[in-house]
Amino acid sequence: MELLHALVIDPIGAIADNPEFLLEVVIGGLLTGVMYSLVALGFVLIYKASGIFNFAQGVMVLFAALCFVGQLQLGMPLVMALLSTVAIMIALAFVIERVVLRPLVNQEPIILFMATIGITFFLTGLGQLVWGGDVKTLDIGLPKDPLIIGGVLVNEFDLTAAAVAGLLVAGLALFFQKTSIGRALRAVADDHQAALSVGIPLKTIWVIVWSVAGIVGLVAGIMWGTNLGVQFSLALVALKALPVLILGGFTSIPGAIVGGLIVGAGEKVAEVFWGPAFGGAIEDWFAYVLALVFLLFRPQGLFGERIIERV
Amino acid sequence: MQNGKTLGEPLLEAREISLSFGGVKALRGVSLAIRRHEILAIIGPNGAGKTSMLNVVNGFYHPQQGTITFKGETRRAMRPHQAAAQGIARTFQNVALFKGMTTLDNIMTGRLLRMKRGLLWQALYWGPAEREELAHREAVEKIIDFLEIQAIRKIPVGRLPYGLQKRVELGRALAMEPELLLLDEPMAGMNVEEKEDMCRFILDVNDEFGTTIALIEHDMGVVMDISDRVAVLDYGRKIADGPPDAVRADQAVIDAYLGVSHG
Amino acid sequence: MLYREAGQFKTSYAADQAIFTIPQDRAAFWILLALGFIAIPLVASEYVLLTIMIPFLVFALAAIGLNILTGYAGQLSLGTGGFMAVGAFTAYKLTTALPGLDIVFVFLLSGLVAAAVGIVFGLPSLRIKGFYLAVATLAAQFFLIWLFNKLPWFSNYSPSGVIGAPPRAALGLVTVTGAEASPVAKYLFTLAFVAILALAAKNLVRGRFGRSWMAIRDMDIAAEIIGIRPLNAKLSAFAVSSFYVGIAGALWAFIYTGGVEALAFDIDRSFQILFMIIIGGLGSILGSFLGAAFITLLPILLDRGGEALGLPVPVNVLTNLEDMIFGGLIILFLIAEPRGLARLWQIGKEKLRLWPFPH
Repeated sequence: MELLHALVIDPIGAIADNPEFLLEVVIGGLLTGVMYSLVALGFVLIYKASGIFNFAQGVMVLFAALCFVGQLQLGMPLVMALLSTVAIMIALAFVIERVVLRPLVNQEPIILFMATIGITFFLTGLGQLVWGGDVKTLDIGLPKDPLIIGGVLVNEFDLTAAAVAGLLVAGLALFFQKTSIGRALRAVADDHQAALSVGIPLKTIWVIVWSVAGIVGLVAGIMWGTNLGVQFSLALVALKALPVLILGGFTSIPGAIVGGLIVGAGEKVAEVFWGPAFGGAIEDWFAYVLALVFLLFRPQGLFGERIIERV
Repeated sequence: MQNGKTLGEPLLEAREISLSFGGVKALRGVSLAIRRHEILAIIGPNGAGKTSMLNVVNGFYHPQQGTITFKGETRRAMRPHQAAAQGIARTFQNVALFKGMTTLDNIMTGRLLRMKRGLLWQALYWGPAEREELAHREAVEKIIDFLEIQAIRKIPVGRLPYGLQKRVELGRALAMEPELLLLDEPMAGMNVEEKEDMCRFILDVNDEFGTTIALIEHDMGVVMDISDRVAVLDYGRKIADGPPDAVRADQAVIDAYLGVSHG
Repeated sequence: MLYREAGQFKTSYAADQAIFTIPQDRAAFWILLALGFIAIPLVASEYVLLTIMIPFLVFALAAIGLNILTGYAGQLSLGTGGFMAVGAFTAYKLTTALPGLDIVFVFLLSGLVAAAVGIVFGLPSLRIKGFYLAVATLAAQFFLIWLFNKLPWFSNYSPSGVIGAPPRAALGLVTVTGAEASPVAKYLFTLAFVAILALAAKNLVRGRFGRSWMAIRDMDIAAEIIGIRPLNAKLSAFAVSSFYVGIAGALWAFIYTGGVEALAFDIDRSFQILFMIIIGGLGSILGSFLGAAFITLLPILLDRGGEALGLPVPVNVLTNLEDMIFGGLIILFLIAEPRGLARLWQIGKEKLRLWPFPH
């Protein structure tokens, strides 16, 4: 009976009493979800173009943010630091292609996945070795004041983040649909061998994709870093992008966005209304369990296609 | 019959099987009987539904319509492992071996259904578990001798040439001691000598163990030589079924192979 | 004596199915066991026993567990830490609730409980594969650690959440847990436990279960068609794997550290074990030991190396360097020899067998 109260009656009562609060929680969650989407976006790009499940996407976010904030702290002007970090991420893409991907071409996906775990550890160590492991505050003048819109409290910063994510997705969509590089990317995503046979340079494509993923990582890193400070836990927050991918499917950009929103809103609502019944901090695992339950009913994700197995 | 043997009752009867994927109809009301001890060849142009038919028989695909009666038991759908437990073994068009395992281990997997000792005995590998393992090893060694693959016993199959892989795959199916053996293009991609070897093995299996065999094959010479009966599929329909010579003379079959339009 | 196989003929299938088919290998194995059980306890210092040998053995056991699941059955798991925690906390609850229960049974029961939890979290593997499954195992990792952290019942309401091992004897003979236990007793107990379980694992992977796991790993469709039930094969792999990992967790908490909190089994621990099997060799029991030895020794060697060069390396720099080296090594191994140290060892032996006439 007590359990029933804690699990059903109290949370629903709380929601019914103050629906505006629920709305606030959902909106706050959605805006966190946008951030997850940003990280998931990087995963999807690389998975689409190379079939590699890039576990290092999370740490690329951390690494990019560390480089950016580190250079700012050295007194570099904002634009310079931004450009130089972009350059670093592109250089990183070159190095990864040359040192990791090229020797492992044609290996099983699981081997490449484990290699990206190797990259994860390497970058974690390198980033913190060079820039230090302390928490760095990042403030590049993004607005942070609370706003009241239609009686609901929202944070200006969250709105900015949503706007940036929207711009990024629009930009990527244009890039994929309208440029010749984008066409080549889609061809590679479809079939490596066929793409090679019509003369698309696979190596260049990989460098471009990893560079774009690195830059997406930088944007995500700036957003997360402004919110939480630049620190190691960023890489862990980025792990939340994994359940997002499961919900959205590994190859779908809209999936990454929608998945991020669902996870963000879902875990906030769960934490605020159901968390107390469990002793709190269910945000730690809610997204994963949600993804797991979802998988059981729809293994291909929200936007994935049903797979017909052949022998 | 061709080699004078008497064919028994139907071992398996498929009735009015229809199967489609989305809008694509792979099989349209196919009925097919496989009789005890016969070698049945299923032929037809590419995309005629031959492999789909085998997949339905061993439970990999579940048909939308139709029933299958195997050993007197009628069913619509079953899982592949249930089909295996009832005595249906098969090989694949593209070799489906366990590439990381040796030839010996691959064939030993065919005995898994017959191995019963539980986890604890296995962990001890002592007494009954060891005796069981060795008994099955002996059975497998007989198959290895039969297929003349002694020399590659301890080599991971991923490193073997294609022709040998097909032979190992046949070995794995034989290790199951099946009543019905389904072979999907057992001779694809082989040279003449390898084909001759494979024909010999198929005929010997049929002859010595009395195993009923249904096979898909494109090489007409082989089909006419070894099969007791031939069924022809085209566009998901069965267009002919009978002794090799009769089928060869059938007008519908000739049309299908020469590509006469289907009005 | 040269390392030669020529002239050794096996006259029975039993001889051919043995773990070590070559007498020289068999001899080496017995020598190694004698070293482990007799020589090391006699000569090794307390430091070596407690900070090198015991963690190495515990790691090796966890690596065997993960190797069964990932290396043999092909189900990638990032939840090893969570299952270690299940073993550790079950052992704690059992020892405190039933003080009379022998520690050997406590550990075995902890393994069984971990196996049951493993089956529950293994159920999704029936519908989902590959990376999707890896993410699903993260659910186990985060959920289990949260559970042990949040519910004070598991740590008997200890305010810090730390569980401490009470003193207990093994088979009523000698105390192996708690502050009074002697390092030699702890070491020998761990070694015996790990040796017996490793042998059992070797037996499992070369028999019926091992073959059905590898069949599922190599080609699940074909496995089902020869009669392997995916349900049985996958869930038995999850169960056996979690049994091993759970016991490793219990040994970690009770013998190695003597007291832990749930966070000792966080996701970094999962990765650490995963690295051991990548470096040691996927699908190899020997590789699990090699990988565990490598990962246990590397930080110590780095530390010593720094001192030897007269470079006092600060701790935080050292951990970052360690991360970089681990990461770099993983990539290096995957490129050079995806099957790890165990494969290198095997290649070395094959060369040696032909030496000095390589052609």
